[in-house]
Amino acid sequence: MAESTLVVREPSPFGVTSRKLGIWMFIVADAVTFAAVLFAYGYMRIANPDWTRPFTFWPTIVNGIGMTIVLLSSSLTMIGAVLAAQAGRKAATLRWLGATMLLGALFAALHLREWIAMIGEGWRPFRNPLGGTPLVGATFFTTTGLHLVHVVVGVVVIGFIALGLRRGRFDPGHLEATGLYWHFVDLVWMFVFPLIYLMNVR
Amino acid sequence: MRRYVIVWLGLLAIVGLEVILTLAHLPPGVLLAGLLALALIEAALGLLFFMHLRYERRSFALSLILAVVITVVLMDHIWLDAFRLLHQRLTKP
Repeated sequence: MAESTLVVREPSPFGVTSRKLGIWMFIVADAVTFAAVLFAYGYMRIANPDWTRPFTFWPTIVNGIGMTIVLLSSSLTMIGAVLAAQAGRKAATLRWLGATMLLGALFAALHLREWIAMIGEGWRPFRNPLGGTPLVGATFFTTTGLHLVHVVVGVVVIGFIALGLRRGRFDPGHLEATGLYWHFVDLVWMFVFPLIYLMNVR
Repeated sequence: MRRYVIVWLGLLAIVGLEVILTLAHLPPGVLLAGLLALALIEAALGLLFFMHLRYERRSFALSLILAVVITVVLMDHIWLDAFRLLHQRLTKP
């Protein structure tokens, strides 16, 4: 018996392409990673009675609201890019992708500005300038840092995909998979913003 | 595109509601429950519309969501230890 006959091959599971199934598997794994990070934050917060609430409405929460609006808007521009690509409108696709990259970069800039301000006040992953447990800084920088890395990687990947689409090397399926990743990054922020920022307002 | 703009506006409205809840200075447990409920609604909107799960086969969507939900439920045993640490503070040496 030939070895190849031992492997039973079926049509694509769930009627999706391998590319889409692959990115969804990644998203599930990444969602569990973020869940573990947020659970660790919750655990440390409950277990530490001297937890400090570091944020005030101005400027931190106002900045966070701005970041949230920017990221949500970038999801909308990504939808515009996917729809334009599926309709075969290459120029419009590239414009939407450019807008998405700009919004992603703006989110990262707002985030870094906030980090720099906090570091200026004496916050570190291992130091709390307000005198409570240093775990406040540890959980804040770890959680938001992990999310920020995802945003930066997303902007770079979108740029790569845009170049490929322009040269005709990629198709709308590639863009849809990238869009799923980008929407996931947005979705994670929907938990980070209320749990890390809003729950820590003085 | 109109449908997605409506979802986007809905998500912005939910963020506004979260901020209003925060400014209401509710007890931490009540605030946490409210914020988590709103975040789950946002996640559902994002998954169904922006990530197109609404248009995929139901078995596909259920497989993905169940995998995450089961893992998150299994992680929940840590809260018992967190509350133990909160209530059983060790005496200073």
